[in-house]
Amino acid sequence: MDKSTIVCKCEEINIDEIETALKAGACQFDDIKRLTRCGMGPCQSKVCTNMVREIIAAYTGEPMEHIEYPKNRMPIKITRLGVLVANQETSSVVSVFKESVSEVDTNG
Amino acid sequence: MYINDHPLLESEFLEEITFFYEGKQLIAKSGQTVAAALMGNGIKVFGVSRKLQQPRGVFCANGRCCSCFVTIDGLDHTLSCMTRIEEGMQVFFNGGDPVVGRGGSGI
Amino acid sequence: MEFELVIIGGGPAGLMAALTAAEKGVKTAIVEESFALGGQLRQQAQVLENLPKEFGKQSGIALAKFFSNKVSSIGVTALLGHTMIGTYRNGTIGVSNGKDTFPIYAKKILVTTGAAEQAALFPGWTLPGVMTIGAAQILLNRERVLPGKEAVVLGCNSISYDIAKQLRACGVNVQGIIEKKSIDEIDKELIEKFESENIEVFFHSNIEKAAGKQHVEKVWIDNDVLKKEREIDLVCISNGLYPVTEPLELLDCEFTYIENLGGRIPKYGSSFTTSNSSVYVAGNAAGITCIEGILVTASIAVTGILEDLAILNNIEAKKQKEILWTELLKAETGRYSKVHDARISLVNDFLPKEI
Repeated sequence: MDKSTIVCKCEEINIDEIETALKAGACQFDDIKRLTRCGMGPCQSKVCTNMVREIIAAYTGEPMEHIEYPKNRMPIKITRLGVLVANQETSSVVSVFKESVSEVDTNG
Repeated sequence: MYINDHPLLESEFLEEITFFYEGKQLIAKSGQTVAAALMGNGIKVFGVSRKLQQPRGVFCANGRCCSCFVTIDGLDHTLSCMTRIEEGMQVFFNGGDPVVGRGGSGI
Repeated sequence: MEFELVIIGGGPAGLMAALTAAEKGVKTAIVEESFALGGQLRQQAQVLENLPKEFGKQSGIALAKFFSNKVSSIGVTALLGHTMIGTYRNGTIGVSNGKDTFPIYAKKILVTTGAAEQAALFPGWTLPGVMTIGAAQILLNRERVLPGKEAVVLGCNSISYDIAKQLRACGVNVQGIIEKKSIDEIDKELIEKFESENIEVFFHSNIEKAAGKQHVEKVWIDNDVLKKEREIDLVCISNGLYPVTEPLELLDCEFTYIENLGGRIPKYGSSFTTSNSSVYVAGNAAGITCIEGILVTASIAVTGILEDLAILNNIEAKKQKEILWTELLKAETGRYSKVHDARISLVNDFLPKEI
């Protein structure tokens, strides 16, 4: 397959970039994630997980059951910072997020 | 295209509502998702990808893939497949990342 | 908010469990991220042939309606538009409604998040007009919108059969089914079904690439005999399902890998308890199965929950579970027998910990 084919459609990481990460020493999905941002976009690897795992399996020759899954972290679904911060007046985190939270995000 | 006489389902009377896409007035059926309302009006491309500016549209229709992002009533990156269309809704093409913060107003 | 039982996911498994629990007086809530209950039943126009006796034969759409009406009349709290996005340090689940994030306290948590569709890799798969076959069915039957006019489907399986037929009934020209496997590897009965519907299946084929300026316009089918370029505006990917397990991961459940259950799967015992004793799993999230399997696993899990909450005594619970496991065996026969065997070995491995 054409190595420029996108695998992670959020961060737009292609087969070539994943294989380059593997050549650089990446063993598992999470290694590839750290090197390329593959699987770190809005869907948080919900779509590309198994496709990336298959590329790893083909590269390493390991069976699929040995290929680890990426670690899920909170929030597990797309969530706005304003929603996490919740009540601006009482939240201590709001100052940290201040620059990233827009008016619309917190009120809408 | 909206299926008026669905061959497999009971006919259902759904009220027509108006919404706006890129400022243009369009018709949808109440109860539809924003994604379906756009598809029903022949709009398949909902936005572009962040890096390569490639077209994106409905992929999973289940709120997982984030491929169907649009801007709804000023809120960027909204899942059109999980949001119901409402009368007068302002829907916009997802053309890239919004400019946030740093505007001087604090938050 | 505080409940005795919180169910994550309002699809068939979650609804079945909610009904049974609420009938026994358990204070139950369903956390459902969509604006309606029913999960993937909501667009299934096909008649579900082998439902448990009490349901007779009906379409998924009818079953979804039946469930949602019943659930609201029986006093289950349906938190629509709510998504579990995480857990607090003490294990309480954190739920967002798009405006606010808050904890929901529960004695027992049942995860019935169902399955997601597997994507497929080929150049051009990210183009608008390329979508999962489930997405095409949602547009067609739930939203009553045509997803395209000229289609090819990737994957020859029972899901693609049902939906290809429905697409065609609504006027979509299904040009053919593209299947990687050779004809001998596919269930004969299924091939006959496609033949009787006059839907062409290209075996030992794949989509070489899809292309189009703004949305998909052409596909190239990579086949030894048939190297053809086809003009289409819809590519449906039917590449199988995998269990949705993200909430279970956050709830510290142990996992294992079983190909026949759909890949990574939480470990569970004969009552569908996970390694986290307050968390249960059922339906497709506990291994990809048929609709009967989804409903019966939910019944088993809820029996276990009722036993844990001391609403059923051990003897009654044991008796009910035995009946239900027999029902599950019956449901998971034929092409689902591998699923059942895998499930049995999973449950047997779990036994020592359960004691």
